[in-house]
Amino acid sequence: MALTLTCPVCGKRNGYEFRYGGEDKGPRPAQEGLTPKAWCDYVHMNKCTAGVQKEWWVHRDGCGSWFTTYRDTIQNLEVEQPEASE
Amino acid sequence: MLGLAKKRIWKSNPMKFSYDAVIIGGGLHGLATAYYLARNHGMQNVAIIEKRFIGFGGAGRNTAIVRANQRTQYNVPLYKEALDLWPVLTKELDFNLMFNNCGNLNLMHSEAAMKAARMTIATAQFHGVESHLIDAKQAKEMVPALNISEDITFPIHGAMYHPPGGIVRHDAVVWGLAKGCTKHGVHIHQQTEATAIDAEDGKITGVQTSRGRIRTPRVLVTAGGYSAGLIYHLLGIKLPIAVLTIQAMVTQPLKPLLDHVVSSGAYHCYANQTLKGEIATGAHMDQWPNYTTQNTAHYIKHQAEALSDWLPCLRGVKFMRIWGGLADMTPDMAPIMDGNDPIEGFYMDCGWGYFGFKSCSAVGKHMAAYMATGSCPDMLKPFNLRRYETHQLMGETAELVCYTPNN
Repeated sequence: MALTLTCPVCGKRNGYEFRYGGEDKGPRPAQEGLTPKAWCDYVHMNKCTAGVQKEWWVHRDGCGSWFTTYRDTIQNLEVEQPEASE
Repeated sequence: MLGLAKKRIWKSNPMKFSYDAVIIGGGLHGLATAYYLARNHGMQNVAIIEKRFIGFGGAGRNTAIVRANQRTQYNVPLYKEALDLWPVLTKELDFNLMFNNCGNLNLMHSEAAMKAARMTIATAQFHGVESHLIDAKQAKEMVPALNISEDITFPIHGAMYHPPGGIVRHDAVVWGLAKGCTKHGVHIHQQTEATAIDAEDGKITGVQTSRGRIRTPRVLVTAGGYSAGLIYHLLGIKLPIAVLTIQAMVTQPLKPLLDHVVSSGAYHCYANQTLKGEIATGAHMDQWPNYTTQNTAHYIKHQAEALSDWLPCLRGVKFMRIWGGLADMTPDMAPIMDGNDPIEGFYMDCGWGYFGFKSCSAVGKHMAAYMATGSCPDMLKPFNLRRYETHQLMGETAELVCYTPNN
């Protein structure tokens, strides 16, 4: 299951150079008034989309950049940002 | 053939408008729960709806290993009960499940791993599960093909030997339970997809399917690796799950050389010899979530390297079949079994990762009790979903061989 990802610095590279960083869940919740439930949602809870999702990656064996991209989890292919999410 | 009508071991029935319980997912957990609902609790008006065919998912893709040497005091008794149920079910279902309790051997490749094994063995023995620590020489006596020399990548220090574990034919369990379900009046609807779960005033009222609406006060989702996506898609409930493809393969058939299930955490590889003589092997999980269930050249190479290191007699042997399945991984490597929260009548049984097969018999029994009475059996209480927000994660990640998506 080959995967090619586009690093913002290094361009298209082999997926095994990267490490998956989780589903994109928006900004980290503010410390003030943070409930255990809200923190749990941010840390643990996933949508497990079968289809296109926005997700975090880090170029571990490369430049070390963290970035978000879109990937189809059924095809396991990086895709363009879907229009609906713009 | 010869005028004999083909006898089917389970029946298909017309779909009714209403059932006392609907189970989404015709895998082993769904079949087992339906079977025990009907057999132990007299709830015969139960339907299993399955998008494809029974046994399509993890039920037919796992590598059939059963064992009860998990890490924590919550998990071990559950898996022990599941292990003890195979001979019972074989009789009860009148179906040969081909349980071969050949024993499991977990190889240890460092002194730290030996120490971890001692703790796991102590837990097992405390719960009445047979498990011993053996040294490399004893492992070699048990498995003469083992390479215990010191010049391999991960030299073998010893092993955790767990005699009651072994292999059960997974397809036979699917067919046997389907037969048992039919006998007790459960309806199995294949080619039927759940498209919505209806709830009113916080209570389950029905399930919409590709073949029409069913009224029911109870719904259980046991869709294996597809559960988390389904539960979010249909009910908006997010789960602490990441769905990864896990790969497996078998070699060409060989003369008998391996009498045990042998596994190695350091090599990320396990192997056992099937009755046909193939070496069934696997363990690798993809490093990022996906629903492909495809194999990778990356892993086939890894597997060949690992096997030829610790079982050098396999050098040059060919892989004959490869396949993949889904593992729904939770952060604490323990499953989620919960019900009536936040919707009354909604039950879930998921997050099993790669442990769904070995647990199905006992879990079916307890989930059935949960659904029939509405109150959670003590055995399942620690596996509730709320444990994540109260930071009561289980200690299963301390297990010897442990992969999580966050490794």
